[in-house]
Amino acid sequence: MKRNHSHPQKHIITYSTPSPGAATSSVTGGDVTEKGKNMWDEEDAGVDELLAMLGYKVKSADMVDVAQKIEHLEGVLGNDDGLSQIASDSVHYNPSDLNSWLESMICELNPSPEPPMIDDSFMNATLPDSELQAIAGNAIYPPLKKLKPNCSSSSSSASASASSSYNPNPNNQNQVVLVDSQENGIRLVHTLMACAEAVQQENFQLAESLVKQAGLLAVSQAGAMRKVATCFAEALARRIYRLSPQTPQDPPAFSDLLQMHFYETCPYLKFAHFTANQAILEAFAGKKKVHVIDFGMKQGMQWPALMQALALRPGGPPTFRLTGIGPPSGDNTDHLQEVGWKLAQLAETIHVKFEFRGFIAGSLADLEPAMFDLRTDEVLAVNSVFELHQLLARPGAIEKVLSAVKEMKPEILTVVEQEANHNGLNFLERFTESLHYYSTLFDSLESSGTGSGGLDGGGISPVTNQDKFMSEVYLGKQICNVVACEGTDRVERHETLTQWNNRLDSAGFEAVHLGSNAFKQASMLLALFAGGDGYRVEEDNGCLMLGWHTRPLITTSAWKIQ
Amino acid sequence: MAGSNEINANEAKKVVPLHTWILISNFKLAYNMLRRPDGTFNRELAEFLDRKVLANTVPVDGVYSFDVVDRATSLLNRIYRCAPRESESGRQLGAGIIELEKPLSSTEIVPVIIFFHGGSFTHSSANSAIYDTFCRRLAGLVHGVVVSVNYRRSPEHRFPSAYEDGWETLKWVHSRSWLLSGKDSKVHVYLAGDSSGGNIAHHVAHRAAVSGVEVLGNILLHPLFGGEERTESERKLDGKYFVKLQDRDWYWRAFLPEGETRDHPACNIFGPRGSSLEGLNFPKSLVVVAGLDLVQDWQLSYVEGLQRSGQDVKLLFLKKATIGFYFLPNNEHFYTLMEEMKNFIKSGVC
Repeated sequence: MKRNHSHPQKHIITYSTPSPGAATSSVTGGDVTEKGKNMWDEEDAGVDELLAMLGYKVKSADMVDVAQKIEHLEGVLGNDDGLSQIASDSVHYNPSDLNSWLESMICELNPSPEPPMIDDSFMNATLPDSELQAIAGNAIYPPLKKLKPNCSSSSSSASASASSSYNPNPNNQNQVVLVDSQENGIRLVHTLMACAEAVQQENFQLAESLVKQAGLLAVSQAGAMRKVATCFAEALARRIYRLSPQTPQDPPAFSDLLQMHFYETCPYLKFAHFTANQAILEAFAGKKKVHVIDFGMKQGMQWPALMQALALRPGGPPTFRLTGIGPPSGDNTDHLQEVGWKLAQLAETIHVKFEFRGFIAGSLADLEPAMFDLRTDEVLAVNSVFELHQLLARPGAIEKVLSAVKEMKPEILTVVEQEANHNGLNFLERFTESLHYYSTLFDSLESSGTGSGGLDGGGISPVTNQDKFMSEVYLGKQICNVVACEGTDRVERHETLTQWNNRLDSAGFEAVHLGSNAFKQASMLLALFAGGDGYRVEEDNGCLMLGWHTRPLITTSAWKIQ
Repeated sequence: MAGSNEINANEAKKVVPLHTWILISNFKLAYNMLRRPDGTFNRELAEFLDRKVLANTVPVDGVYSFDVVDRATSLLNRIYRCAPRESESGRQLGAGIIELEKPLSSTEIVPVIIFFHGGSFTHSSANSAIYDTFCRRLAGLVHGVVVSVNYRRSPEHRFPSAYEDGWETLKWVHSRSWLLSGKDSKVHVYLAGDSSGGNIAHHVAHRAAVSGVEVLGNILLHPLFGGEERTESERKLDGKYFVKLQDRDWYWRAFLPEGETRDHPACNIFGPRGSSLEGLNFPKSLVVVAGLDLVQDWQLSYVEGLQRSGQDVKLLFLKKATIGFYFLPNNEHFYTLMEEMKNFIKSGVC
């Protein structure tokens, strides 16, 4: 059975209520076509198909090499529990790439620089179904790297030897839909879809009557379904009636406020900050002077944790410089400076030398590298949480920004984005994609703060009703933008990891893999987060995703210049 | 007594294709790292390493899938269905719309197989790539529906959690109007599972038989059974074909209630603490035994036990097969198994 990887994919979760005889339910999705360059075809020529189906990327030519490495490791680990423990505790990267995963373990565990015994028995044995490809010469282990005391050596070996054919699942189009066992729930989803279809066909009379119906049906719903449906119905109405501006431009202070409530309600932003900080910390290892440019400073919620981690570094903290970028505030207050000031106070209490600078920019594309006072003795990290997709609203903007970043020669670029394609050309597709996506998000919100995580007192901090409500408003604005806006107004142009990979690869970046330590700590962070044991961290080709049940919702990736 | 690793590696290499050897050995290597001597399990690393796949409402090889979450329990099942041929539904599926209102068929019988993935009660999930692939194949093979259960795993959730999850799923499946089929309009349910999944399938079937819930058949793929006694196959095959006896012991200690022995009825079905199945309306069983699996003596005892209880059981003994032979379509045992499963289900369906 061949799994066609350029095949479009839709992932759906439905929910069932426990009452037996709950008969009716439906799910909806949207059509998804992967547009743009498909890296899979080009760079995976020669990848073994059988193993690929099971989630492993091994070049056919490397099969025997992989087998030998496994055998070698079996020998090393087989009788020694201590070594097994070391392997368990060390950091693992990108397990899909079997060859480099095995190699990095061999490096970790091999105390001597001598090459291991090469067992040629695969070469000579006659196997019942011989699947050996013709291999020129003997399989030879790559030259062993000397075991460095710092186990993060495995990161450099992993990313060096990990094939530059970075290939995330190209079909990563995920959709989740709420299922309601009530009849109105199904009719509601169908009505919304029919309305979107009418809008697409520019049959506004029909659309108008359908959106009214949808509004009425939504009111009779409960929970997340009601909220999602209401948001989408409202967004459709705005589009139909061409209410302009389609989404009112909120003052940044208000947007920031909404985001802060979202930050409190559910773990997505915390995960984003945490995993990005992990990557930044690793990139800053051993460096004495560091500089972070934050593309979306907002209230600076990401940075206290990084600063504290830097303060606790063995060998002492580096000098930490932070440049925060934010939009014009419209009321002449410089809120960036306020945020910087608070961080400076924190820095003082934890004894970290700190410098802050704020930049106000209408768009990231307005920035030039020369503005940032980049210093040659400093190591730079550029951080972008939910910022890059906005650039897709203007032609050329993303290319300009990525090119500027490249010019700045960062040690690392951390990117967090929504894991969804809400930027397709087809309106109905976008509508259904986002319906799935936000349904999932709302569903996870619904269960947050309910304390089912098991800890008393609601975990980190209790979630209030106001938090939840504001989070819904926050998400509702995104929905409005995706559905009701067009052109440069439509800034919520989310794209998937596959798509971002293509863009970043074209711009001259390659992936820096996030490893099992970041994964583990993110998982533990989630466990602390009360409410909703449906949150899941997943590893995908060196990137980490946070999702609700089986649907990934946001992705953290890290990049460096090729 | 495990032989030296070198000898054993050579043994396994002679009987499985390269791909299978790599796949299973890779699991073995990873699993060795995850099990700790003190009985705890490195769950985060396990989840990190496990290759998972998304469900897909776009049919692949004629089968599409979607996940269902039970709000009350957070339990997830992945459903696999054959794509309908009619163009209207086909177009809807392409757009991602699934109708869950109508029955599967009002004329024909469509089997619904509840599948419990393996992993010695500890590893893998319903959305693990190896099991997603297998379930997809199974659905296509029998032209039916597969419900893959994401049951709670040990050591975090010991006996009887997995059995309870299986039981809940059985009841759930029976109550879905969209899984009905046939002129008799009922859900035609089978249970299936490999390794620990086979063990779960047995126990769920037992409970079903006792409770009067209908199960039409059981398919057990080298199911996980055991006991305190050491059998000949355990001694002879220890460490030879990917599995060491001490690993098996670890998983039983992780699953069974603390302080329990392997003669616990969950593990030793027809042993000193087991109960008789005589007179029960137990489903017919297809038990598949791999001739190079060290657990085989327990599986053969299970078959004999069923026979002694007057139950209908067919044994498929694959002499040269190792565990996990059904993950890849690259060996004759795979195809033999597919054929047997197809016939087994079909014969219940006619």
